[in-house]
Amino acid sequence: MPNASSVRSPAPTALPHLPRSVPLRIGLGLLLVLLLAYPWIAPGGYLRYAGVLVVMYAVLSTSWSMVGGFTGYVSLGHAAFFGLGAYATGIGVVTLGLPHAAAFVLGVLVVAVFAAVAGLAAVRARGASFVIVTIAMVTMLSLLAQDMTWLTGGSAGLQVPGAVAGISRTGNHALFFYLFTVLLLFALLTWWFIDRSRYGAGLKAIREDEEKAEALGVPTTAYKVAALTVSAAFTGAAGGLYAMWFGNLDPIFVFSLVLGSSMVLMALLGGSRYLLGPTLGAFVVAPANEYFLTQHGESQLHIILSGALLFVVVLFMPEGVIPAVQRALRRFRPQSASIREQTQQELHESRGAAT
Amino acid sequence: MPSLSLLAQGLALGVLTGGVYALLASGLTLYFGVMRVVMVAHPAFLFLAAYITYFLHAVTGMDPLLTAVITVPLFFLLGVGIQRVLVARIPQESLAMMSVLLTFSLALLIEGGLGYVATGSYRSITVDYATTSLHLFGVAFPYDRLIGFGLAAATFIAIFAVLRLTRLGKALRATIQHPDAARLVGIDTAKVTGIGFGIGLATAALGGAVLSIIDPFFPAAHWDYIGKLMAIIVVGGLGSVRGAAIAALILGTIEAVVQVSGGATEAGLMFYAFLFATLLLRPQGFFGGRLAERF
Amino acid sequence: MSTLSAKGLRKSFGGVVAVDGADLDLHEGRINGLIGPNGSGKTTLFNIVTGMIKADSGTVRLGGTEVTGWSPHRIAHAGLGRTFQLCRVFPRLTVMENMLVSLRRPRLRDILGGLTSKADVEVAMGWLERVGLDHLAGTDARDLSYGQQKLLELAAVLMADPQLILLDEPAGGVNPALIDRIGDLVRDLNAEGRTFLIVEHNMAMVMSLCQHIIVFDRGRPIAAGPPAEIQSDPRVLEAYLGV
Repeated sequence: MPNASSVRSPAPTALPHLPRSVPLRIGLGLLLVLLLAYPWIAPGGYLRYAGVLVVMYAVLSTSWSMVGGFTGYVSLGHAAFFGLGAYATGIGVVTLGLPHAAAFVLGVLVVAVFAAVAGLAAVRARGASFVIVTIAMVTMLSLLAQDMTWLTGGSAGLQVPGAVAGISRTGNHALFFYLFTVLLLFALLTWWFIDRSRYGAGLKAIREDEEKAEALGVPTTAYKVAALTVSAAFTGAAGGLYAMWFGNLDPIFVFSLVLGSSMVLMALLGGSRYLLGPTLGAFVVAPANEYFLTQHGESQLHIILSGALLFVVVLFMPEGVIPAVQRALRRFRPQSASIREQTQQELHESRGAAT
Repeated sequence: MPSLSLLAQGLALGVLTGGVYALLASGLTLYFGVMRVVMVAHPAFLFLAAYITYFLHAVTGMDPLLTAVITVPLFFLLGVGIQRVLVARIPQESLAMMSVLLTFSLALLIEGGLGYVATGSYRSITVDYATTSLHLFGVAFPYDRLIGFGLAAATFIAIFAVLRLTRLGKALRATIQHPDAARLVGIDTAKVTGIGFGIGLATAALGGAVLSIIDPFFPAAHWDYIGKLMAIIVVGGLGSVRGAAIAALILGTIEAVVQVSGGATEAGLMFYAFLFATLLLRPQGFFGGRLAERF
Repeated sequence: MSTLSAKGLRKSFGGVVAVDGADLDLHEGRINGLIGPNGSGKTTLFNIVTGMIKADSGTVRLGGTEVTGWSPHRIAHAGLGRTFQLCRVFPRLTVMENMLVSLRRPRLRDILGGLTSKADVEVAMGWLERVGLDHLAGTDARDLSYGQQKLLELAAVLMADPQLILLDEPAGGVNPALIDRIGDLVRDLNAEGRTFLIVEHNMAMVMSLCQHIIVFDRGRPIAAGPPAEIQSDPRVLEAYLGV
C-alpha cells in the first residue's frame, strides 16, 4: 500500500464532469446547432411533427432517468405524470379559461404535488411494491380520465385550443419544437446539476445500497420523494406542452403503460446513468417507432419491435450503449485503463493473501 | 340505493369473479415467492392461453375447458424455460427491477404477436352449457362463472396441497423463505425455482381457458388485469399464496358490489384505494407473509 | 459521561429472542470491545442502536439524547457512525463519491452544493490520505481490493465526523498487515477523542486494542471489564466453551 501522498491526483478527476475531450465537445456543439436548425432543414409538416415528438421523448426519457438512473427505482408509470400534466394544462385552458402559460404552470404544480403524495406511498415499500404503485397510478388515472367526462371529455378526448391564434400547422410545429428543446436543455441542466451535487451522490448511493446510505446519514425517503417529484414535474411539463401542441388528449394514449415503458426503453438503451444517454435513446427509438407506426401501423409490428428491443436491452446491455462505446474507445487509449488493471491485480493479490 | 336482490346478485357474481382472480393471483404470488419477480406478463400469458384455447376450439371443435389438457403442460414447460433461460440471466442485485422490465417486454411481444396473428378485434367462445344460470334463492349464478369458480377453487386447493403436503412443496416453501438456507440443506433451488415458475404460468393457462368462455377478449385487454392483480398481491402480502387468495375474494366481491351500486369506474378504483391504503397502513400486506416487509 | 447507553433492550424474531433485556453503557473516549459466541445477539444489538431495526422494548440514549425509534439517518446525524460486517461500499460510485455520500448535517446548502465544493473535497481528501487511498479518488469502488474497500468504508464513516463509531468485525477477511493498520488507525482516532465499540472475533486484536470489553451471551451482557479481567473470568469461558 503506497503511503506517499505526493502522488495525489487533482481532485476534479474524481468527479463527474462534462466531456473534456475537444472533438467530443465540438461534436456536441454541432449536434446542438443541427437540432436548432431542424425545423428549417425539415420544412415538411410531417417531418416537423415527427421532430417535435422525438424531442418530446428526449425530455421524457431524461426526466425518467432522474429517478430510474440515479436511484435505480424503475417506474413504469411516468405516463401518469405526463397525462396528468397534459390534462391539468388542458383543463386550465378549457374549463378555467386561464392563459396558456398560467395553465402550463398549474399543470406542473399539480403533477409535482401528486408525485410527492404518491411518492410517499410508493417509497415506503422498496423494490417490487414501488413498480406496482407506478403501474397502479397509470391505470387509476386512465380510469378517472375516461369516467369524468364533464371535466376531461372522456374517451372522446379533450380539445385544447392552440397557444397562438391563427398560426399555421407547420408554424405551430416549429414553435413547439423550440419549446420542447428549451425544456430538454432545462431538464439536462437539472440532471447535470443533480449529478454533481452531494444530493446526487446520495441518490446514487441509494441505488447501490439503500440501507448503507441511510446508515451514512442520507435521509433516503426524503431524497427519493424529492427525486420523484422533480422527475415528475419535468414529465408533467412535457405533458403540458403536448396538450397545447397536439390539441387533443386521448386518455388511452396519454395514460398508457406502453408510453411509460417507451421512456424506460429509451433511457436504458442510451444509458440511464449518463447525461446524454436518454436523449440518445430517444433519438434512436422514437424515429424508429414513428416509422413503423406510419408504415405498418395496423399490423402491431411497432409493439413487437418495442418488446423485442426492450428484451434485448434488459438482457444484454442494461447499462446502455454509452458504456459499451466507451469500452470500445478505451481500447485505443491504453493509459486510461492502467488504474483498473493495477487494482485488479491488487485485488488478486489481496485475495491470495487472505486465504 | 340498489335493491337488496341486486346487491345479493352482485355479491354472488363478485365471489365467483374473485375466485378467478385468486387463481390468477396465486400464479403471481408463486413467481414473486420463488424469485422476487413481479411478473407483469402474467395477464398477457392469460390472454395467449385464451387465444390458443379459441383456435383449438375453432379448429378441432374441442371443448374449451378440455384444451387445458394441452395448454397447462405447455405453459408449465414454458414457465420453466422462461425462468431457466431468461430470468436466471439477470444479475441478482438488479433482479427486482430488471425482471419487471423483462416480463414487460414479454407482455409487449405477446400482445403484438397476438395482434399480428389474430388482429385486434374481439373474440369469444360460446358453449351451450355456459349460457344459462343456476337460480338459487332468487339469485342467478351463471354456469360459466360457476365452472370458472369451481376450476379456480380446485386448482387453488391443488396448489395449496402441493405446497403443504409434498416434498416438492416443502422445497418450494423453503426456497421462498430462505434460498440460501434451502441450498445448504441440499435443495436444488435452481430446479425448484424453475418449477415454481412453471406452476405459476400453468395457472395462466387454466385461467385462459376459463376466461375464454366467460368474457370476450382482445390482445390489449391484458392491461386491465395488470393493475388489479398487482393490487391483489400487495393487499394480500407479497409472496403469500393464502393472503393473495383472501385478498382476491374480498376485492373481487367489493368490485362487483360497487359495480351494481355505483359504477364500473368506482369499482375499478376500489383496487387502487385498497392498494394505497395497504401501503400506507400496513406495507407488509393484510393477510400475508413476512416476505413483504423486506421487499 | 456516557456516550451510548441502552436500557432493557429486547428483540425477538418470530420465536427466537435475539436480544433479551440487554443494558449497555459506553464511557466516552474508550475503545470498547463487544465479544460473544455466534448468535449471541451482537449484530442485532448494533442494528437496534443504529436504528436499522426497531427493538420490541427498551431505550437507547446517545450522549444524553434519547434516540429510541429514530431513523438511521437521524442517528447518524447525532454523531454515530458504523461499518458493516461484510464490507459495504457503493460499487459503481467513485471513491470520492463514496466519501461525499456521508452527510454530517442535512442542510440544503450542503446537499445541493456541488461535489466540487472545495471544502468538502478537501476534507474527503484528508481522510482518504489518512487511510492511504487518496491516489485512487477517481476510481470506481468496485475496482478496489477488499482491503481497500474496508479502508474506504471506514473513511466514509469518518467523513461525517462521528463521535462514536461502531465497527462490525473490522478484521474479518483482511490480511494480518492490514489488521495492524486498522488497529493503529483506531488508536489514533481514539486519541483524538472518538469512542469505539468493536465487534470482533479476532481475540488477539480485541485484547490488544480494547480498553474495556463487554461479553455477550444469549442476548445479554454477562461480563464487562478490562481485557485481563475478562480473559480469566469463568463465566466467559463457560459461554465460549459451553461448559
